Amino acid sequence: MTFDLKNNASNHISNREGSDTGSGSTPKQPITDKKFAFIDGISHEIKDGETILQFVKRIHGKELIPTLCDAPNLEPFGSCRVCSVDVALTENGICKSVASCHTPVMPGSYIYPSSERIQKLRKNIIELVLTDHPLDCLTCEVNNNCELQEVAAKVGVRKVRYPEGKTHLDREKDLSHPYMTSDMSKCINCFRCVRACEEVQGQFVLSMAGRGFESHIVKGSEVNFFESDCVSCGACAQACPTSAISDVFESKSVANTEKTRTICTYCGVGCNLEVASVNGKVKSIQAPFDAEVNQGHTCLKGRFAFGFYNHPDRLRTPLIRRNGELQPATWDEAYDYIASELTRIKTQHGPDYIGGISSARCTNEENYLMQKFIRAVVGTNNIDSCARVCHSPTALGMQRTFGTGAATNSIIDLKQADLIMVIGANPTEGHPVTGAKLKQFAMKKTAIVIDPRRTELARYAKYHLQLRPGTNVALLNMMLYYIISEGLEDKDFIQNRTEGYEEFKAKVLALNLDEAEKVTGVDRKLVREAAMAYAKAPNAMSFHGLGVTEHSLGTFTVMQIADLAMITGNIGRRGVGVNPLRGQNNVQGAADMGCQPHQGAGYLDVTIPENHKKYEEFYGAKLPDYIGYKIPQMYDAALAGKLKALWLMGEDVVQTDPNTHHVKAALEQLDLIVVQEIFMTETAKLAHVVLPAASFLEKSGTFTNGERRIQRVQQVVEPLEGTKPDGQILVEIMNRMGYAQPAYHPDTMLQEISQIVPFFAGVKWNELGDNGKQWPVAPDGSDTEILHTESFKRGKGKFVAAEWRETNEIVKHGQEFPYIITTNRELEHYNNGTMTRRTGNVKILTEDVLLIHPEDAARHEIQSGDMVCVISARGKVDIKAKVTDEVKPGVFSSTFHFPEIAMNNITSSECDTDALCPEYKVVACTIRKSKGQYKENPATVLN
Amino acid sequence: MARKLLLENVHIEGINTYDVYRKNGGYRSVEKALKTMSPEDVVEEVKKSGLRGRGGAGFPTGMKWSFIAKPDGVPRHLLCNADESEPGTFKDRYLMEKIPHLLIEGMILSSFALGANQSYIYIRGEYMYVLRILEKAIAEAYANGWLGKNILGSGFDMELSVAPGAGAYICGEETALIESLEGKRGNPRMKPPFPAVKGLWQRPTVVNNVETIAAVVPIVNEGGDAYAQIGIGRSTGTKLISASGNINKPGVYEIEMNITVEEFLYSDTYCGGIKNGKKLKACVPGGSSVPILPHYLVCKTAAGQDRLMTYESLSDGGFATGSMLGSGGFIVYDEDQCIVRNTWNFARFYHHESCGQCSPCREGTGWMEKVLHRLEYGHGKMEDIDLLWDIQRKIEGNTICPLGDAAAWPVAAAIRHFREEFEWHVNEPKACLDRNYGLVAEKIFEPATA
Ligand SMILES: Cc1cc2nc3c(=O)[nH]c(=O)nc-3n(C[C@H](O)[C@H](O)[C@H](O)COP(=O)(O)O)c2cc1C
Ligand code: SF4
Ligand code: SF4
Ligand code: SF4
Ligand code: SF4
Ligand code: FES
Repeated sequence: MTFDLKNNASNHISNREGSDTGSGSTPKQPITDKKFAFIDGISHEIKDGETILQFVKRIHGKELIPTLCDAPNLEPFGSCRVCSVDVALTENGICKSVASCHTPVMPGSYIYPSSERIQKLRKNIIELVLTDHPLDCLTCEVNNNCELQEVAAKVGVRKVRYPEGKTHLDREKDLSHPYMTSDMSKCINCFRCVRACEEVQGQFVLSMAGRGFESHIVKGSEVNFFESDCVSCGACAQACPTSAISDVFESKSVANTEKTRTICTYCGVGCNLEVASVNGKVKSIQAPFDAEVNQGHTCLKGRFAFGFYNHPDRLRTPLIRRNGELQPATWDEAYDYIASELTRIKTQHGPDYIGGISSARCTNEENYLMQKFIRAVVGTNNIDSCARVCHSPTALGMQRTFGTGAATNSIIDLKQADLIMVIGANPTEGHPVTGAKLKQFAMKKTAIVIDPRRTELARYAKYHLQLRPGTNVALLNMMLYYIISEGLEDKDFIQNRTEGYEEFKAKVLALNLDEAEKVTGVDRKLVREAAMAYAKAPNAMSFHGLGVTEHSLGTFTVMQIADLAMITGNIGRRGVGVNPLRGQNNVQGAADMGCQPHQGAGYLDVTIPENHKKYEEFYGAKLPDYIGYKIPQMYDAALAGKLKALWLMGEDVVQTDPNTHHVKAALEQLDLIVVQEIFMTETAKLAHVVLPAASFLEKSGTFTNGERRIQRVQQVVEPLEGTKPDGQILVEIMNRMGYAQPAYHPDTMLQEISQIVPFFAGVKWNELGDNGKQWPVAPDGSDTEILHTESFKRGKGKFVAAEWRETNEIVKHGQEFPYIITTNRELEHYNNGTMTRRTGNVKILTEDVLLIHPEDAARHEIQSGDMVCVISARGKVDIKAKVTDEVKPGVFSSTFHFPEIAMNNITSSECDTDALCPEYKVVACTIRKSKGQYKENPATVLN
Repeated sequence: MARKLLLENVHIEGINTYDVYRKNGGYRSVEKALKTMSPEDVVEEVKKSGLRGRGGAGFPTGMKWSFIAKPDGVPRHLLCNADESEPGTFKDRYLMEKIPHLLIEGMILSSFALGANQSYIYIRGEYMYVLRILEKAIAEAYANGWLGKNILGSGFDMELSVAPGAGAYICGEETALIESLEGKRGNPRMKPPFPAVKGLWQRPTVVNNVETIAAVVPIVNEGGDAYAQIGIGRSTGTKLISASGNINKPGVYEIEMNITVEEFLYSDTYCGGIKNGKKLKACVPGGSSVPILPHYLVCKTAAGQDRLMTYESLSDGGFATGSMLGSGGFIVYDEDQCIVRNTWNFARFYHHESCGQCSPCREGTGWMEKVLHRLEYGHGKMEDIDLLWDIQRKIEGNTICPLGDAAAWPVAAAIRHFREEFEWHVNEPKACLDRNYGLVAEKIFEPATA
């Protein structure tokens, strides 16, 4: 045995053994301001702030240094020590081994990534790790796709020298959860899951308990996944290098070799997904780390809620109503029936007796086709989309102020922001991946949340302005008032980039603060502080959601948010701007493609002769030059006998539009309802023809996310037998009605779109790449991350003052119905839940509940779990109560995911005055303990 | 008679109370510093004094203080490390228990020097009764205007509080201490960033040992130069030594760093020689983490010179024939003691105390204990000795914090100097057990469970 002799106490340093160091020919350090370091004796330039691992990877690829605790989307942690390398400060100097993943490169240092000593060290470390790891790789779920296995092979561990000892191989598996699983006997204590839960999701579910050899991963306070606060984002499972934490779909199993990159269909964040399929069936989903939108993260909807796609309930054949009943038919029969009915109505009444509602869940290409079909083939501007019921005020308001109705910045800008203001949005539930980023932000920097509910984000925010629903305008006026009266406005920006300021300022300063404080119910001191923080922050970024738009003054509120950005100069650079959090995956795209009655594809006003002519020439058809019906107007027209046919693509208006009675009554007046759907929704049940469509996993096209990013949706599996992609259906009916439209293919469709939509000019299917492009895309293909950098689309930004007034709903019904109910969403479900209710998500969230403040609950003798009856001027619903101080007294809140609750029985027909977006967020109501019984949840679950 | 700078007044009745402490010259240094010196002056005196950290690593304190980052508008912190949990070390407890105001006085001076307005004493959880003593003393200091706002009208504000640990040795490592103080699990942090740049709540922070901070009091009172007069070479001033093991007079001694190990071990002023007239077998001079010295290397260096109780002399010969002063935990073993058993005992401690982050330390400390246990209980093989050597080599220098090293060194030194005794355990297990356990040996000689 040889002992290595130590010369001094700092014996981290010992003589490097073995490695061939640079010879005399080693290049000397060049004298420039660039910095260099040596890898195996060869000099390379280093970048600022680079770690040794990053440096070596950049030069030699990732093969040279094995790692275990390092992960692409996590901060370095330095615990496994497998990445150790030898470093000397001088040529042939004494070497010290350091963990390369977190040690910065020292300029001029000599790095030996695989000296003999280091190779031995790595081997020994892995050997130690393997002493407490079951050696049953052959039967392990992640066999051949396991980082531990890979590293072990790489460092050359064949056998473990350590005799049997105490191990943790007897730990029990956790199979409590519908999605998440764990088998801690496979755990190698690398902390990746803990860090993922902390750094990526910000949920703090996982932690390490115990010390040393006894240390082990726990969920919450040693509970199982199901009982823990886990939100099933799956980040930990994806981070785990072994199968210690995984999911029921075994997404790390190597069997999942066929992978297709596509875009999540569930929300406007637009996460990139990597879908694994086996034998034409979807097996599991992971998130690519190189995705600019989501960097390896998703929420449970994107990652796990795909089970609906081949659910037995999927529609598989066209249906035609015969003798009052929907009966199976062939596609030909269905098309013939539709074509003849549409032609009849068109000749009898005129094209304006026909309308179409497009879907923000469908691709850009399909939305484009839908509006083209209604405009060019039917010949009317009666085309609208579900953007009407969510972000139409955003589009309109921002167009009025800036000239463009889209997010001004990108989510990645959070890195440069110093403050965020989140208004009427609950991103941790509604936009989970962006929500997690906002939450991380709020934990570290300043956040202002303006919301009637104490949302998760509000709990982390420095300022929570908990206002009464329906008073956004008054509150924002207070903020504007304080910014102006404190002299915190950005005078240069106002001078150079805006117009209408003086008049605006006079109106804002005339604000009656007492009244504003009273109606909003928010302490003026708090509002003042928040306003000052917003104005003083070097970079302030605002986000808003449906809590802004779904109000009678929605468009004005959006304009006020834009005013706040302009008055403080927070627009046109990184880390600032006005950023609507888009609800559905392609709300942005539906509007971009012209699914609205006043603007065609690319937002050109259809009443302007020049545009009208352009569209007529491009489509080769006669088009009307006047504005068509918006969705609420369609219902009124139907009731008045002025609309006879309605075509709905993927929209369940009966369940999702407000005031269900009114909607149903309107639909019942129609001669023809055509519904393209994947499930038998409440609306489809009323249809005359139902056309079975394909889901997002079964078709290709593009979605545009909330950051204007056009991304590729790529077909993963063949459409279910009997179904067709919506785009194909539209093309077929167009041809059937005599309009020659080439077959549906995203490539050719984009070619067509790029010729008519100005900001799509340079969009080409083959050039979109993995991460898409943000519009406007110039003809040369270059895209745009930030809007309005030099000037606004409309020239100067326009200030318009808004005055708060009580919504009609309260004016009319406030006396009789003294409470306000506001609707919202939960993470686990998507919209009306037709998709998510057919996945394991229902096991996590099984019902809608009504949130009620303890004071109100006491007054009505209501306890958590009681069934209560909520009554509005339109109707009533029975729902289970949850007593909580998340809401203020006088305010209730509930979701609308489950049809058995039919929350929209009570919502009103009040709309945003300008964009006609319905006012979901303010409903006057009363409450009493329910006599009715709770209806059992009929939702079926696919296992 | 040797000079005492810290424990001089320890035997005065009631010195743990404010009044008696003050009457005997307590808090003089604060008056001097706050009224006549700038913070930089205090740092300068400490630099001149040559004071080295008494927590174990012996890093020059003045230099450490001058490294603290001073970004505008960011508060800085001083943390006193009173987590003292190293086997064989109990000097800090003695000091805090007997003369708590000395530590508080030192904390005021050091905080002033560093510009820290909120300082903490992080004390070992098992020292709960000492915590009470400190809290009482702090309350007295507040009541008499030595802590709080605008101390002595100088404009310097300082808050001081005590925080108890929760029974983990690792929380004595400075970054684990910081994590623990922040309310988190006491896992050491990666470095860089160093605490001097990003410490408590990401603010510039200095962590110092109790004794280090107390030593600032005589340094300010008498001047850095005077302090540096005491001792030899870079070992200046006095040092507290916790003496234990088979000696006649165990206890805490304050020594000037110029006496020989022989004097310390055998004179009646200090340890008073080996107990029961036995022979010296070995000595661990600086707490359980430092290499053990065989009897022939205790009083003399390999070169035959007298070994002194100084940083330099104790480490003379490197790890081959020397050791370290460490935290001053001086443990003596007589001829009856078993080195294998002692090494296993230490290994068991480190295994239990590893935080578990780094794979080499988590798994390695576990395996060292297992293998040592096997050897000690008569089930060892010759290869086990080599295996042990191999494991300790893999841990040492390859971990996030020095606990890995601390666990590896004692094992390495024991094998280096007492290999025959390990071999004897393999060759004659029965005889070893008889020696170590006597009558109960039969019972123990069963298959190992751990
Ligand atoms: C595992 C471990 C335990 C430690 N425990 C203590 C301790 O209890 N007290 C102490 O002062 N230093 C301890 N240290 C050293 C501290 O990390 C740190 O170096 C010291 O507090 C610095 O103070 P000084 O410069 O005054 O010596 C420990 C170090 C390690 C690695
Ligand atoms: S799934 Fe997400 S929330 Fe749940 S434990 Fe893993 S990382 Fe945390
Ligand atoms: S569960 Fe997986 S990710 Fe978490 S510590 Fe264990 S091996 Fe690492
Ligand atoms: S955040 Fe939105 S886009 Fe991303 S996975 Fe979840 S639902 Fe899909
Ligand atoms: S060396 Fe040991 S105690 Fe220190 S951080 Fe690593 S595992 Fe924890
Ligand atoms: S990858 Fe660097 S320590 Fe684990």
